[in-house]
Amino acid sequence: MSDPGLLDRGYAEVLQRCVATGQAPHYTELAASLGISLADARSLVHELVALTPGWVHPGTDLLASFPPFNLQPTQYRVSIDGDQRWFAQCGFEALAIRWLFPGKQVRIEAPCLCCGEPLVVEMTDETITTIEPETMVGYTSAEVGGDAASRPFR
Amino acid sequence: MNLFRSEDHARNWDRYDEAMTSSLRPVTDWADIFANRYFRERGRPDFVSWTRSETGLSAFAELRRRARS
Repeated sequence: MSDPGLLDRGYAEVLQRCVATGQAPHYTELAASLGISLADARSLVHELVALTPGWVHPGTDLLASFPPFNLQPTQYRVSIDGDQRWFAQCGFEALAIRWLFPGKQVRIEAPCLCCGEPLVVEMTDETITTIEPETMVGYTSAEVGGDAASRPFR
Repeated sequence: MNLFRSEDHARNWDRYDEAMTSSLRPVTDWADIFANRYFRERGRPDFVSWTRSETGLSAFAELRRRARS
């Protein structure tokens, strides 16, 4: 188990890379940026994922989901001030991305899983400026913060 | 954890589960739940330590409570 200081630094490094680029670092990059060994960085990736509702691609050390972001494209496309390079882990986490981009417009675009027709939410900090259609709802078939094994499927 | 155009659309989803009907709520409700401090604090440099603090644990407990209610 890594010490708390390293967990803090590792979490912040991964999240800030996701914020800046929409991509997560490989553990070899994490090793370089944190000044730790490759083996320790590889372990750190798995420790960090275990602390979050995220996951690595099965059988690998590759970050696939680091909430609120998904590194593998999902149906939840996210644009920041008109720049689309992010994907949200799920529809609910998409609504939390705004806290990582203070003062910026977050636009979430997704198809409805029932009919494929578009959904749009726009928000800036506390303010929701667009909900199209106005009848939009959220629904989960699994408990928020629940069983880790179900996360990629909820 | 998905968004749908309306309640009817969610209920027509092939993975809809009646047992989780309590989670079927307006998107504004979920936006409010995901405004919990647990999400707002993610960008801080000591986030992992913060989640283990009294404040962080309290925020997470509040999140679970609101998500279930």
